Amino acid sequence: MKRTTALLLASTFTLAATPTFAQTIRIQGYGGQDPAIVQRLLDEVIGADLEAEGITVQYEPIETDYNAVITNNLSAGTAGDVFYMPGEVAPGFIATGKALPLNDLVDTEPFIDSLLEVYTQDGQVYGIPKDFNTLAVFYNQDLFDEAEVEYPSADDTFTTFTEKIRAVSELDDEIAGACLPADFARMGAFAYANGWQPFNEDGSVNLSDEAFTTAFDFYTGMVTEGIAVQPSDVGAGWPGDCLAQEQAAVAIEGAWILGFLRDNAPNLAFGVAPLPKSDTTGERGNFTYSVAWAVNADSPNQEAAVTVLEALTSEEAQQFILEQGLAIPSREALSNNPYFEEETPEAQANLTIFEGASDGNVLGFQFGNVGTDYLTPLNNAMTAVMTGQADTQGALEGAQSELDAIIERAAQ
Amino acid sequence: MRSKQQEVVAAYLFLAPFLITLALFFLYATVRAVFFSFTDYDLFNAPRWVGLQNYANLFREENFLFALRNSLVFAAVVTTLQTFGALVMAAVLNQRIRGLNFFRAAYYMPSVTSSVVITLIFLWMYQREGLFNYLATQVASYAPQLGVFALLLIALQIIQVLIERTRGYPARWLDPALFAISFLVAAAATWLLTFLGILLPRDAEVDFTWLQTSQEVPGAFPMALRAPVPLIAIMIQNIFTTIPTFMLMFLAALQDVPKSYYEAASLDGATPAQQFFSITVPSVQPVTFLVVTLGLIGTLQMFDQVAIFGNAVPIRSVITLAYFVYQRMFPGAQLPEVGFASAAAMFLAVLTLLIVLIQRRFIRSEAS
Repeated sequence: MKRTTALLLASTFTLAATPTFAQTIRIQGYGGQDPAIVQRLLDEVIGADLEAEGITVQYEPIETDYNAVITNNLSAGTAGDVFYMPGEVAPGFIATGKALPLNDLVDTEPFIDSLLEVYTQDGQVYGIPKDFNTLAVFYNQDLFDEAEVEYPSADDTFTTFTEKIRAVSELDDEIAGACLPADFARMGAFAYANGWQPFNEDGSVNLSDEAFTTAFDFYTGMVTEGIAVQPSDVGAGWPGDCLAQEQAAVAIEGAWILGFLRDNAPNLAFGVAPLPKSDTTGERGNFTYSVAWAVNADSPNQEAAVTVLEALTSEEAQQFILEQGLAIPSREALSNNPYFEEETPEAQANLTIFEGASDGNVLGFQFGNVGTDYLTPLNNAMTAVMTGQADTQGALEGAQSELDAIIERAAQ
Repeated sequence: MRSKQQEVVAAYLFLAPFLITLALFFLYATVRAVFFSFTDYDLFNAPRWVGLQNYANLFREENFLFALRNSLVFAAVVTTLQTFGALVMAAVLNQRIRGLNFFRAAYYMPSVTSSVVITLIFLWMYQREGLFNYLATQVASYAPQLGVFALLLIALQIIQVLIERTRGYPARWLDPALFAISFLVAAAATWLLTFLGILLPRDAEVDFTWLQTSQEVPGAFPMALRAPVPLIAIMIQNIFTTIPTFMLMFLAALQDVPKSYYEAASLDGATPAQQFFSITVPSVQPVTFLVVTLGLIGTLQMFDQVAIFGNAVPIRSVITLAYFVYQRMFPGAQLPEVGFASAAAMFLAVLTLLIVLIQRRFIRSEAS
């Protein structure tokens, strides 16, 4: 009799307890290849543990303009409990007041500081970087061998790098030394190497600074000299295409190129080197590109949402993402990961990119509340110079006045 | 009376699905947007009344002024060319020619293809190594051949017509039979000259930047009247895709024009051009009004092509009012400027209405 009562009691408890624990946490992020990755992460790595805690996770990809859709969702109260916060628009997301401050809820200690900084405002952390990327030099080994030119290396400066590009470009009229897009998201890394900052202390921008102009000339000069091409010059969509199609010997990209090369140029023998160092400072520069997980401040299941965020950024999750060659982990401890010791070009590339985050003058790919509007005048100036429509000085003067107007506009 | 009432109720019942949608997604949305345009609403904080501030700020914004200029130039050029092009094509397709159905279907293709797909295809053709520059390069390289061919063609035609006339036959200058002979002989002669190495292709390369440029033409015009080159690229594409739709409307209108008018005109010795301007144009006037109105509305609100061309071109060169509204609505790393964007949207609505009203004064909506 007692036993039955106990059993009855126990089952009542379980029955009563189940509804409070069975929660569905909706997470929202990019479409494209992300749904498959997150689903595998859930199915193979973290899903079981969460299930044990009574949490079911549902990934809802946003296939169109992510920022526009999630902004609407956050405003309408229909956003997921956990959602992607892209680094370059983080200030906008934080300003909505819908991202939960995480300082007291999540241990931010294990994550790389320079990455956290992108999601920090007034000492509060609003997003935990899920992974990151930096830039590196990807080169076609066969072309360098054939041209009898030394591979790009960690010792290269702007000058020696240009010499190598020039030498390898002389191999064949149809093959350029490098494939460089008119994009500040590439060229900026070299300006940072020279010690240039995207904003002065008073929030203004100085494009006439020599640190900027020499980097600008170094980058655009390779195209105007004819030893490098823009992707559009050779009918390629982006530098990864140039490299895969052997239209150029060098591309400056991040780890995202690895999957593309695996699919589109499986037999390409490629090598990876860190970005060249500045001639003047002897330092390297780089961007870190990252996306964070953030918790919706309006979420009815905040506690469970935080648990899911922790699981998504846990060591096991990041280990999985790294081993799949998808992205670089944002946890410092994973730098000693055995994966990085592997001799495969992919593992070496990931290591170079991982190290890029802490080598020299590295800044997050973020431009305050100006957002990616910051890039437009600079990209236009680079295009104008690279297509021979303007000289450096004229192009940069125009860009300066446009940027001044944009910054003034954003400050309102 | 009872049945009359029933009829009215039935009519409203049938209209209900449409009226409800209209009220909800159009009327309600419009009223909300009008209200927001007088506030500083940002989607996340309660709207605060700011009066006409947003409207005043519009004209302080450089991008808005570029958008206004681009939209007006775009609407003027595209509406004119697409209306004229559609009418000419409809007149041509209204003839009794062999394979008419094939041509009607083929000409209509651009309009039924997704505008996103077409924009992507054009994006490729406008590349520096794209089709347009390739064709221009070919034309420039073979300019000597083309020039000689044209000269020979004209010379041969003149000689043949003069010979015919001296023999007393009434040969027209563009007599098709003589023209065919001139064409073949001129082509053969040009080929022979090239083959013998007397005429050599020039080493020309056209490297025109269609998209990645902030160049505006004509350079001699004041800023407000110039068209940026990338915008012209979008114009060409837009005209290409919209002509067929409007052509269909003109074609329908032309079916109603009695053939006897044209027969009478030919008997009186009117040339095809005279017939076109004196019979075709006046008889389709109501449709012309419709086409111009739809064209103006469509072009003033053009958005999708800019959104797709967006990343490849300097934004100032292609920004339109509709795109400006979107850009301020989702500015990236800032809170959405819903109030400001709504003010711009209201401006666009009023501008569209005004322009349509003005054009009504020039094109009558009823046939005379």
